[in-house]
Amino acid sequence: MLMDALLIGLLAGIAGVDLFDGLTHLHRPIVIGPLVGLILGDVTTGLYVGGSLELVWMGMVPLAGAQPPNVVIGGVIGTSFAILTHADPKVAIGIAVPFAIAVQGCITILFTIYSPMMHKCDRFVDQLNFKGIEWVNYLGMIILFGFYFIVAFLPIYFGADAATALVQKSPQWLLDGLSVAGGMMPAIGFAMLMKIMMKKTYIAYFILGFLGVTFLNLPILAIALGALAIAMIDFFNYGRENNDSNKPVSSDSVEVEDGI
Amino acid sequence: MEFNNDHDKKMAEKEAKRMEQALATSKATADTFYDQSQDVTLTKGDINRMAFRSLALQASFNYERMQAGGWLYTILPALRKIHKNKDDLKNSMHMHMEFINVHPFDVTFLSGLVLAMEKGKENISTIRAVKVALMGPLGGIGDALFWLTLLPICAGIGASLALEGSFFGPIIFLLMFNIVHFGLRFGLAHYGYHAGTSALPLLKTHTKRISHAASIIGMTVIGALVASYVHLSTPLEINAGQAHVALQADVLDKLMPNILPLGFTLIVYSLMKRNFSPVKLIGLTVIIGVVGKLVGFL
Repeated sequence: MLMDALLIGLLAGIAGVDLFDGLTHLHRPIVIGPLVGLILGDVTTGLYVGGSLELVWMGMVPLAGAQPPNVVIGGVIGTSFAILTHADPKVAIGIAVPFAIAVQGCITILFTIYSPMMHKCDRFVDQLNFKGIEWVNYLGMIILFGFYFIVAFLPIYFGADAATALVQKSPQWLLDGLSVAGGMMPAIGFAMLMKIMMKKTYIAYFILGFLGVTFLNLPILAIALGALAIAMIDFFNYGRENNDSNKPVSSDSVEVEDGI
Repeated sequence: MEFNNDHDKKMAEKEAKRMEQALATSKATADTFYDQSQDVTLTKGDINRMAFRSLALQASFNYERMQAGGWLYTILPALRKIHKNKDDLKNSMHMHMEFINVHPFDVTFLSGLVLAMEKGKENISTIRAVKVALMGPLGGIGDALFWLTLLPICAGIGASLALEGSFFGPIIFLLMFNIVHFGLRFGLAHYGYHAGTSALPLLKTHTKRISHAASIIGMTVIGALVASYVHLSTPLEINAGQAHVALQADVLDKLMPNILPLGFTLIVYSLMKRNFSPVKLIGLTVIIGVVGKLVGFL
């Protein structure tokens, strides 16, 4: 168990750094889930939980600088507890979310206390100390790695038994209720994306996507390619109309916000 | 038109605020470089190195200057190559330690452009103005392309495979996402460096058009994802004498399948527009799920 917890801590550390630096997105639950499954010896459950958690977190991206519940800890703790406690994956979502919210709060504190390092950088610039500037950045990543390692290791090493006992003692209606809530949870992420993107112009496309699945049972890839075709028609027609005449074309842009 | 004017005004206000934040943290002492020679050229390798280092843009992220440390880290080797004069180098580095908040995905367009300007020995204030002016548009286009379009599409396809138990889910997700991610990161670095300031007027029109096209794809896919992955149904039955009517199978599904997931998503969306936080909505969802199960309508 110690070995498992250490490996999961290591994975969480790497993923936690990737969330801000690297951005290869190996920190998403869909990748973390099967990897945690591999460590704990149950890849099938890992895949399933990872896929479910991925949908919950799909819209919870750092849009406009607002930090959502932490996706790394959500994925790591959610998958670990689902495998260790043999709970329904949708119940695991309910267990993971409080951890994810708490960790995001800690990250905000970390970013606040790192501010004085900027003044150190100012001095390094005056001294032309290039290594110093680089190490301020490396140190930031090392701190982040250590933080994620600890917050993933502790609850899994010390909390797995308690969580198993808790799940076994919980009444069935509570677990069933959490499972229902887990199924509804992806709506929150999708609504977050809609809040940023939705303009009158785009309602039509939302309807198209919805009916493509509901009535035509098309796979997501087919719908994405169809949407790409529509977007291309729109994109190139805009150019043609502008060349042929000076007819104004309304082109609402998405809300432009600070990206982080 | 009204809306567009408002939009431009809001953007201008934000830009002014960012300039204020940048100047508040400024330690640059001179505006022009002493050494005006423009004989340094950056090689392909220099630009690739910059693009690679841009992965650490947020390494020293903090709430005073956001990504300033990582931004300087990104362009540091190229700056050292461009500025042979020590005072010039110090001045330039001080300017790049000012507040900056740019999108972590399309940042390389800006860093390429800034390196072209540094190479041309433009004034410090001119380079700063370009940095500040591009933060907003690059943020908007980056959000639209990566968070709102690329991630939902890749994750939606990957998750559907993973839920069927296929190991290709995560692999295809990583491949699809990163081919686009690294292609754009390195491509934009070279584009920004070679196009230089001539790309600026084009960028403004293109930002809107590309965001618009990305939003069309993103919105369609989100409609599809709502139908595929929000799960909500009711076991309620209506008993009227001899007739049993299962609410879900006999009424709601006949009306329109997925009507409950759609309704719930739209309710969450409207609450979110009234500034309910995601955390609050998660709590609310758990309460609805547990109470619904207990009472028996879910």
